[in-house]
Amino acid sequence: MVDQLPNLGREKEMLAAMGMSSMDDLFADIPESVRMNEELPLRGPQSEEEILADARRILGANVALGDRVNFLGAGLNRNYVPASVFQLVTRGEFLTSYTPYQPEVSQGMLQAMWEFQTLISELVGLEVANLSVYDVSTAAAEAITCSVRVHNRKASQKNTIYVSELTPPARVSVIHNYTQGGGITIKTLRHNPDGTLDLESLSEAAGSCGIYVEQPNPLGILDGGLTSVKEIIGENTAFIVGVSPVSLGLVEAPGNYGADIVVGEGQALGSPITYGGPLYGIFACTKAYLRQMPGRIVGRSIDVDGNEAFCLTLSTREQHIRRHRATSNICTNETLIALMGAMHMSLLGPEGLEKLAQRNMAACQLAKQKLSEISSLNIPHVTNTHYNEFVLELPGSASECISYLDTQGLIGGFDLSNWYPEHKNWLLVSFCDQTTSKDIDLLTAHLSVWVASMKGVTV
Amino acid sequence: MSHLFEHNGASGRGYSQPDPIYPVDNLQIPSSLVRSKLPRWPRISEPEMVRHYTWLSNRNFGIDTGFYPLGSCTMKHNPRVNEVIAQLPGIADLHPLQPEHQIQGTLAIFHEMQEMLGICAGMDAVTLQPVAGAQGEFTAIRCFQEYFRSRGELNRTKVIVPDSAHGTNPASASMAGFEIVEIPSQADGRLDLDALRAVVGDDTAAMMITNPSTLGVFEPEIAEAAAIVHDAGGQMYYDGANFNAILGRTSPGIMGFDAVHYNLHKTFSQPHGGGGPGSGPIGVKSHLAEFLPGPIVERREVASGDTLTTVNDEWWYHWQEPAHSIGKVQQWHGNSGAVIRSWAFYRRYGKDLKTMSEHAVLNANYLRHVIMKEAEEKGVSHVFCDGAPVDVVKHEFTLSLAPLKEQKGLGAMDVAKGLLDKGYMAPTVYFPLIVPECMMIEPTETESKEVLDEFARKFIEVLQEDADVLHNAPVTTKVRRVDEVYAARNLVLSYPFDE
Repeated sequence: MVDQLPNLGREKEMLAAMGMSSMDDLFADIPESVRMNEELPLRGPQSEEEILADARRILGANVALGDRVNFLGAGLNRNYVPASVFQLVTRGEFLTSYTPYQPEVSQGMLQAMWEFQTLISELVGLEVANLSVYDVSTAAAEAITCSVRVHNRKASQKNTIYVSELTPPARVSVIHNYTQGGGITIKTLRHNPDGTLDLESLSEAAGSCGIYVEQPNPLGILDGGLTSVKEIIGENTAFIVGVSPVSLGLVEAPGNYGADIVVGEGQALGSPITYGGPLYGIFACTKAYLRQMPGRIVGRSIDVDGNEAFCLTLSTREQHIRRHRATSNICTNETLIALMGAMHMSLLGPEGLEKLAQRNMAACQLAKQKLSEISSLNIPHVTNTHYNEFVLELPGSASECISYLDTQGLIGGFDLSNWYPEHKNWLLVSFCDQTTSKDIDLLTAHLSVWVASMKGVTV
Repeated sequence: MSHLFEHNGASGRGYSQPDPIYPVDNLQIPSSLVRSKLPRWPRISEPEMVRHYTWLSNRNFGIDTGFYPLGSCTMKHNPRVNEVIAQLPGIADLHPLQPEHQIQGTLAIFHEMQEMLGICAGMDAVTLQPVAGAQGEFTAIRCFQEYFRSRGELNRTKVIVPDSAHGTNPASASMAGFEIVEIPSQADGRLDLDALRAVVGDDTAAMMITNPSTLGVFEPEIAEAAAIVHDAGGQMYYDGANFNAILGRTSPGIMGFDAVHYNLHKTFSQPHGGGGPGSGPIGVKSHLAEFLPGPIVERREVASGDTLTTVNDEWWYHWQEPAHSIGKVQQWHGNSGAVIRSWAFYRRYGKDLKTMSEHAVLNANYLRHVIMKEAEEKGVSHVFCDGAPVDVVKHEFTLSLAPLKEQKGLGAMDVAKGLLDKGYMAPTVYFPLIVPECMMIEPTETESKEVLDEFARKFIEVLQEDADVLHNAPVTTKVRRVDEVYAARNLVLSYPFDE
């Protein structure tokens, strides 16, 4: 028996008030030809305790990252999120509210999102941030269409954007889906063998509407060359940078080296990975892009008494006003996850962010040092600085290595042949604030054994 | 203290962290990339931070606070066990790149959800990947586009939407590269078949429509509309925003639609969280299945050699890429956390989802009835009228306050603000655009008769207020009427540190 309907058992009374006698009367307007006459072929209702028991049993069949020693990251990150974040975000006033269309009774979420915008602006070094899009991939795609709207008129390469060849294929696919309708051509930016952006060939992108690169890049490399990019591509080409936000506790804010739009996967600040969603996409830009940017924005205003108050603003960019001429179709975004981000960022503070970045990077450095001691393992981009992940070139296939590590209780990393098919032996190993020295010792020990077991390989 | 950024405690740091496991002096960040100045974030202790956000929450209105009749948004109760389940490590602490044998539980739930959603909507294949309703619309339109391309029908460049459609419909189709053809509704808000016939042709790719319409009215000629579009070679898209009205009574599949999105944050109670996250799976008929974003979950019988899991010993669940997939709309597998919550919600109802929809419709009609009755008794029937003059509505209904505007100079927004003073969230106002001074009311199935009776009384009380009172409303809220024009003209989009 369903337990969520307050008027169950009172149907007759309510129907009678309306002069009706049956629930069927309420559906008399549905023509017979389109009625569903059979019962829904679904199971019966369950009680709360049965559902919870089933959930524990079914989800208990999964291997959670925390059950193992884990080196899987690839853009998602298992940083610790303080308990107060979870406690506060489930407050019903936040959790069960809708988009703040009535600002007078939504000041809490509006102010929290205005503060979120400020936290992000400060983090990335740009004047404007919206209150999130779905994830970094859609943020990158929206940044690209936004750049075309801003720059196409003056561009010598019309409707053209350059995207780093290292960009993960799934992100490229999202970008393709978002841009193909606008007739936007995506060209690729080449990289040097050491994994850094090829600045020589970058001049090809001058005169296009924009370029998209990541910092750190998908190989984990912090690329100092990006500080020269804006000079090469020029004023009329958007410089879009995808960031790992926590890294910005150590790494220069892209806004300070010429980025026009910064996007990022916000998840590492405030949210568990949750099998890849919900996440939140960071979207920030200079004022030049403000009126072409996607998504909701909160502005500070006053009420009729002149008191400070907040409301959604610049809505004329959005679908509910502008319809097919909107800057994006986005309506629902990831506000609640962004709120978790704001809470986590608040607790960190500037120095806490710096330390969190140090912890990520320190674990990566330690692992790089330890793993470089295994003689038949190669670290292809070893001369570069890595933030919290790097590539190991194995003496055999990454997928076999991962299977072996799995049998030893380790989630060993990501098989990069999924992204770069020519690199069958590339394993991407990732670290976070939760990685311990002991974890790294375990990885080193098991990799040594696996390497030694490889046929024809001398350790 | 009301501003987060005014917190700048000397000790800083809301939570202490263990030290890095490698000397930080040896991190070797390229000199050009060393951060020059840390962000001006607050320095706030945990007790201060908890109090700040609790203070903010007290300045926010959710379903938990009170009645939230926001039309088209389906603000129903969010069962709390769903939150407990979504935090279990078996979902919260999973990575989307883990191998299939480590995630059999999640795949089993995804499979159950794909099947259930398909059954409810009469669709053959479902993807859970789109993360919001608008993204679901866009995804389905992309599938239509690739379907036509695969058949060489490159001439199909137009998407038809009624003038009562949600703004996301034209925005989504436009993003995919289609031209929008808007058709007028009839005077009573219903679909105008003659207008539809006049615009369909060789260039028609699709029609996007929600049924019941945004007026809360079931389109009786929906099957005829589908036939007109199909005869012209186009596809029919069902905007699932209003799906809460019809489960178990009819389905988009029966009505003749080819694709549908589901708003899990509406019909299936994923909490909306002040604007998101949502989840917008889509279902399609078999001819479109090969174009869905991938992968989707399939299952086969357990074979020897499979790593047995405790989900059950019958099925092995696995990802499968559709043959001609449009690719990805979200990088991973969608908003899995939302899908899990909606799974728990589904389990609460099972086949009684039909009862859920019946009660949503019962409550909407009952509220409409008591508002009209109360208005008559209190002599205020002349200040508003039905948005659509029909015998029964579905899950929501519209009222036009145009007479009030004419008589007293008060608009729907003034009435909305008056309702805030009575302790309610205001209904949706000024949408759909075709109803002048529109107020769109959706009570949902989780409100009691007493709440509805009380709301009707208070609503009429608001209509009886003096014009001055309503022009001035709200007066009981944390701030009074907010100047949205001021916000747009004096853009302050972040904390002014230098002010």
